[in-house]
Amino acid sequence: MIEVKNLTRTYEGRVPTQALKGVSFEVEAGEFLAIMGRSGCGKSTLLHQLGLLDTPTSGEVTIDNENVLELLDREQAEFRLKRLGYVFQEYALLPELTVLEAVYLPLMIQGTEKKEYIEKAVEMLEKVGLKDRLNHLPAELSGGEQQRVAIARAIVNTPKILFADEPCANLDSESSQDVLELFCELNKKTGQTIIMVTHEKEDREYVERVIWMKDGLIEREE
Amino acid sequence: MIIEICLIIDYFLVIVSCILVFYFHCIFIFCIPDFNLMLKNLKISFFLAYKSIVRGNKGTLSLTVLIMTLAFVNLIFISSIFMGIVVSMNEGAIENEFSNIVIEPGVDENYIKQVANMQSLIDSTPGVMGSAAHYVAGAIENFDENKDGKDIKSTSRPIKSINPENERRVTKIHENMVAGEYLQKSDRDKIILGREISGGYEASLEEGMSIGVDVGDEIEVIFGNGVKRDYEVKGIFSTKNIGADQMIFITEKEMESVLGTHNMASEILVKIEQTGQEDKYIKEFRRIGITEEDIKPWTEYMGMVASVMGSFNMISAILGIIGAIVAGITIFIVIYVSVVNRRRQIGILKAIGMKEKIIINSYILQALFYAILGISLGMIIVFVLLVPYFLNNPLNFPMGWVSLAVTQNNLIISSVSLFVAALIGGFIPSWQGAKQSILDAIWGN
Ligand SMILES: Nc1ncnc2c1ncn2[C@@H]1O[C@H](COP(=O)(O)OP(=O)(O)OP(=O)(O)O)[C@@H](O)[C@H]1O
Ligand SMILES: [Mg+2]
Repeated sequence: MIEVKNLTRTYEGRVPTQALKGVSFEVEAGEFLAIMGRSGCGKSTLLHQLGLLDTPTSGEVTIDNENVLELLDREQAEFRLKRLGYVFQEYALLPELTVLEAVYLPLMIQGTEKKEYIEKAVEMLEKVGLKDRLNHLPAELSGGEQQRVAIARAIVNTPKILFADEPCANLDSESSQDVLELFCELNKKTGQTIIMVTHEKEDREYVERVIWMKDGLIEREE
Repeated sequence: MIIEICLIIDYFLVIVSCILVFYFHCIFIFCIPDFNLMLKNLKISFFLAYKSIVRGNKGTLSLTVLIMTLAFVNLIFISSIFMGIVVSMNEGAIENEFSNIVIEPGVDENYIKQVANMQSLIDSTPGVMGSAAHYVAGAIENFDENKDGKDIKSTSRPIKSINPENERRVTKIHENMVAGEYLQKSDRDKIILGREISGGYEASLEEGMSIGVDVGDEIEVIFGNGVKRDYEVKGIFSTKNIGADQMIFITEKEMESVLGTHNMASEILVKIEQTGQEDKYIKEFRRIGITEEDIKPWTEYMGMVASVMGSFNMISAILGIIGAIVAGITIFIVIYVSVVNRRRQIGILKAIGMKEKIIINSYILQALFYAILGISLGMIIVFVLLVPYFLNNPLNFPMGWVSLAVTQNNLIISSVSLFVAALIGGFIPSWQGAKQSILDAIWGN
């Protein structure tokens, strides 16, 4: 499903930083994978490259048999829309869209019929347990609820891969558990491939495989 | 009625130009040949713009629309005042000085002959409201205030003769008497004159140009042919038209006895029902047999107004451009602030897979919405408040009473320039915002 070869990323800032120094690994379809490591080791940077949110300095990334780094900006946008879902660390919702609107937006962009996208969005929101919050604005939701909306939005397009960058960082332990259980369920029931960055050692019990990173390199796998 | 039609036409043009501009914008900037896809994308842009307007900050929205409205009113107002001045000058000239059409003697002739015949021909043409024949005679006017032969004030202005009954149908001098009375047909030793000759009555020329007379005073007139007569000032008129207010009138009977002529004229003024149709009537006059004489519309005598109008158009164009730029910058700032505030959201939209052009278009649509609302409110203010107000309370300018003259051209130019300003002001910041990388947008570098 994903093949990463010798991926590097150097930030050309005031102080050039080599955040990824040559990372290689593979992910099978249907895997639930965690990326762990100390703060600053390059986890987010790696996820950004895989999620096509950033452009690596060198290396190769193949997702779903497609060399994604060779795609044009426009094609990458299309690829993100149709095949990838991304959940940010902070709840990344648009304040002017209701829960329902936020979730059906990706379907709407794809050109799905109105009846269908509303149906599907409601179904997703039911899955994340927000069926009775359809017309709330983000400001009217708790942090955990907002994060669940973001997850619903990320999976509504049935993406091949779901990326999540510390999805529970801003949540209390109970909400975190909800989110992780949701991921587990998605992974078990629908075979959703999930790559999640996390800090919490306890999260290991939910995932099948962990990639440990250190200083921009893969240290070991479990 | 005309104004309503103008309004409708204007709206139509604005909408058409909106669609056209948007269409070309889409084609040229993003090269989407697929109309269906374009429409679909437009729908999403519209969805985002709509939500942003409806659920966004109402204060910002009202302020933006208010600024657009004021910018529009500002654009319309200044040029309408200028147009109003021109209209007032033209009206003044038609009503008091030239009427619509002026007939003068042909080449090498001193007078128009067979005037009675010619006038009955003219007057029986449908659409002609009346004609007035004048003699014009060069003369020197003297006023000896103390009747002691000293300090005689003197001026040299031609004297015109009128037939008061005919004249009333052609000019409005009789409505503009500020002192004394208008001439009567039988008057012989009476004279009426404009305020610029008499002085006083808010005359606008310098002191030395007038002879300082008032109603009841006696002035001596020496005609060009040497005839010398005394006249009592019967009335003084003020039309605010500087040409008319320098005129002096005696009756036709009196003038014929001075000149020893009969049934002739130096000029015939013709008033028609509809100003603007002069050329049609001139053709008709030619057809019915007035072939020798020189026939001109009033516009040929308005060289001065034409040059004033040129300057006014220049000024209002400059002010209009400045106004449009200010409006454009305002929209630019409003959109810019909103784009900066939404960098994160733009990043999120792009991360989901939203195309840049959809994001840009949603901001452009918002800007156009501000513009359309501003233009509409501006129209309402102009036509419901300002125009009626100035009709009831015209401004007192030296050249006449001035109210707003809103032309269709002015409306179209103002609307379109505001519209284009909004388009540019919406495009640039949203384009910049949408161009930055996703991570920069989300994490705000
Ligand atoms: N935009 C940037 N410009 C310059 N350096 C950056 C930038 N983003 C990240 N870095 C650097 O790259 C390195 C890796 O950062 P990254 O965000 O991937 O760490 P992380 O593993 O996600 O850490 P955390 O667990 O704290 O989120 C860090 O040393 C960081 O300072
Ligand atoms: Mg991180």
